[in-house]
Amino acid sequence: MMQVISQNTREKMKGLRYSGFGVYIQGIKSSLASRMAYRGDFIMSMFIMMIVELGGPVITLIIYNNGASFPGWGVYEVLLLQGIFLLSRGISFPFFMGIVWNTISRVQEGTFDLLLIKPRSILLMSIASAFDSEDLGKLIGGILVFGIAMKNLPAQPLHNWITFFIFFIFSILLMFAFGLFMAGLGIVWIGNYRIYDIFMTVMEFGMYPKSIFTKSFQTITTYIIPISLLASYPASALLGKPNTNVLLALASAIVFFLAGLWFYFRMVANYTSSGG
Amino acid sequence: MIHVSELKKTFTTYERGGTFREALISLFVRKKKTVNAVKGISFDIEEGELVGFLGPNGAGKSTTIKILTGIMHPTSGEVDIMGYTPWKNRRKYVENIGAVFGQKSQLLWDIPPLDAFNLNQSIYRIPSNEFKKTVSEMVEMLALKDLVKKPTRQLSLGERMKCEFIMAMLHKPRVVFLDEPTIGLDVIAKEKIREFILEQNKKGTTFILTTHDLEDVEHLAKRVIVINHGEIVYDDSMDKLRNYFGEKKTIHLTTRKKIMLPKHEGIAVRSQLSDYDIEVVIDLSQIKLNEFIKKVNEESVISDMSIEGLELEYIIKDLYQV
Amino acid sequence: MDGIVSRRSDTPPIFKAVISATYKENLAYRSQMAISIFTQPIYFLVQYFIWQSVFKISDTVSGFTLDQMLLYFAISSLSGFLNWDSAGTELQDLIQTGKFITFQIRPVSHIYYSFFQKVGNRILAFWVEMVPVIFFYILFGIDLIPAKPFWTVISFSISFVLSFLVSYTVGTIAFWLVKTDGVRRSILLFTQIFSGLFLPLNLFPKGFQKILFYLPFQFITYVPTRVYIGSYELAGITMPIPQIVFLQAIMVVIMFLVNRFIWSMGIKRFTGVGS
Repeated sequence: MMQVISQNTREKMKGLRYSGFGVYIQGIKSSLASRMAYRGDFIMSMFIMMIVELGGPVITLIIYNNGASFPGWGVYEVLLLQGIFLLSRGISFPFFMGIVWNTISRVQEGTFDLLLIKPRSILLMSIASAFDSEDLGKLIGGILVFGIAMKNLPAQPLHNWITFFIFFIFSILLMFAFGLFMAGLGIVWIGNYRIYDIFMTVMEFGMYPKSIFTKSFQTITTYIIPISLLASYPASALLGKPNTNVLLALASAIVFFLAGLWFYFRMVANYTSSGG
Repeated sequence: MIHVSELKKTFTTYERGGTFREALISLFVRKKKTVNAVKGISFDIEEGELVGFLGPNGAGKSTTIKILTGIMHPTSGEVDIMGYTPWKNRRKYVENIGAVFGQKSQLLWDIPPLDAFNLNQSIYRIPSNEFKKTVSEMVEMLALKDLVKKPTRQLSLGERMKCEFIMAMLHKPRVVFLDEPTIGLDVIAKEKIREFILEQNKKGTTFILTTHDLEDVEHLAKRVIVINHGEIVYDDSMDKLRNYFGEKKTIHLTTRKKIMLPKHEGIAVRSQLSDYDIEVVIDLSQIKLNEFIKKVNEESVISDMSIEGLELEYIIKDLYQV
Repeated sequence: MDGIVSRRSDTPPIFKAVISATYKENLAYRSQMAISIFTQPIYFLVQYFIWQSVFKISDTVSGFTLDQMLLYFAISSLSGFLNWDSAGTELQDLIQTGKFITFQIRPVSHIYYSFFQKVGNRILAFWVEMVPVIFFYILFGIDLIPAKPFWTVISFSISFVLSFLVSYTVGTIAFWLVKTDGVRRSILLFTQIFSGLFLPLNLFPKGFQKILFYLPFQFITYVPTRVYIGSYELAGITMPIPQIVFLQAIMVVIMFLVNRFIWSMGIKRFTGVGS
């Protein structure tokens, strides 16, 4: 079939519909359609995703309700930080973190090969076929917590919002890097869904103000696995609190992301050369 | 040994709309719909028989099997198997039966079949010496050797199915239900399993075989029960089934000239590849074979020809369409 | 049971066979289980930092000192490992794939089978997950000696059965619903929150504590953990240890009856009685 397509139609196929983004959108559409077959279950699952995410903020509220607090942080400031953390997760989990379970289950079942024979990047295919609509519940949870916190905090100047936005992009980038590491691990560590657990617990460090950890832990969470960028840095920026060693933290995030990309493609190459 | 009379099963289902609105309405007002899956069937099976139980999808075949294995209660009717009513006193009854479901495994995926056998040994309370003897006999018969000591997930489909048979027959059940036991298997594995079934049948085990694989039926069953639309449409020996619709032959013809079939009752075209190549079924009670051949040869000049008995497949297809 | 047992005494009893088969089955996944050796200390460290920081300002939170708070998190996590349960998920899977009939055609009751599957699975978890984590807590300097060892053992055993019954009952829903992941996950989550796995129940708002007191969930984690620490209090109600353990035992009986009732309705539906 492909040979008979004229040069003319080939040109037309360069349109948006056939771009990587178009493939991705198609993936989202078909995932939503199949999930809609069991609406009740879908809505309930989404609700659960949201409730699960509220665990951290609830603990915060309970701590403050009992008259205790994190030194230097008001209750709504902590909630803002956690809201940002949840927003970052709420965007990454439905839109690209599905690459992890998709890779693990496909490698286990042997259907990963079906993605490899498609004439597109394996990264694109793994993400496009893994839109996780239930995880939109996480996003709703994030918007909720972020909104409540903002409503109870004074309005922030525009330049705070701008720096916040830049940090937030890095937060997403970091999530993507996490996804790449997990997916890569999923290729070699066959059928191990607990890979998620490893990263989810590590991420726990990102849900609280950087200042509650000891100095040595702060070093790890800023420069080695820059988890502080997930929420602590963006929240401090938005609230006008001082952030230290910003450039170094951003640089290590980029290094971490590149390492993730390298690791992922390395593992894919491993898989293809060993024949699965 | 097995006595079934006037067995009926009626399901009540509720129609559920596809759209969200319909689903919402169905929460309050539900449209009832009754389906008569089995409409009063009766039959008897003697000890040591090997009966093929056939029917198209949705004919009531699996409902009947579920009732006979004690998994489902009928709406009405009587079943007596070895003195038990299957759906009453389930635990006692199932000690005496075995079942192999081609698509529902009793084995444990991550551990060797032998460990799963041990589990059934305990469940059926089989004495150890008897258990060991049965396992080694069956392992030999099915040529499994040390494979029963390998984790189930590493076995091929055929090897796994052989182990399913051992698993189901360890406790020497007198009646065994087989549901699609050779589905997806290669020719050699199929043959081995059929041999095994025949061997066990010779020793006196009664088998009831449901399958869509007619080769299984041809090789195994001496008697066939065909069920369709919840009723038995055929219940007799395998040999009689072949001539159920009268004596018919399938004839494949290649001719020099364009084929002109004689205008006569009892000739049906099954497929026609070209003007010179045709496959017909003729009913010998209406037209004689030599007469048919003569006529065709006069008109079209036969260059090649094969004559076969009507395949089981076509007889069953006809039965399913009754 | 009926005189047959003595003649067939060389056959291992079903519970032994199920435990050993499940243990072997799960051995294949021990490396996955072992991930807890990494995740649990990290999770605990985060908790440590949170409460360390919180207790810099106040000496007690809801009657707990820092040490008691950390002990609570340590013990509740161990209770979490002990009570972890896949009975509900597995039952749903069996029903939905139709494989449940392979149990119906064997002379064994599924709840009995399933319970000993959990036992086999948790024996493995004990070595692979709990022992290393206990070792970590000891290294971390947590004083793990239970206040009342006898009642602690009793209370943990009861919670083991209770958590199984809750999970198994939830799994029974599959007799009615086609897709049950959502319901199961909701109930699992609420069970975990309301049992006190994530946070001591006495930290919740007072009004909410009153509701929690009357739900079965507190008996799964909160009660055994408080028995371990040596004092019980919820919603302003304090109780001697033997008394709360007694209540826990009553709850198991109630839960068992509830399960058998729902189960018998489910089986009726499955076998099509009266339809």
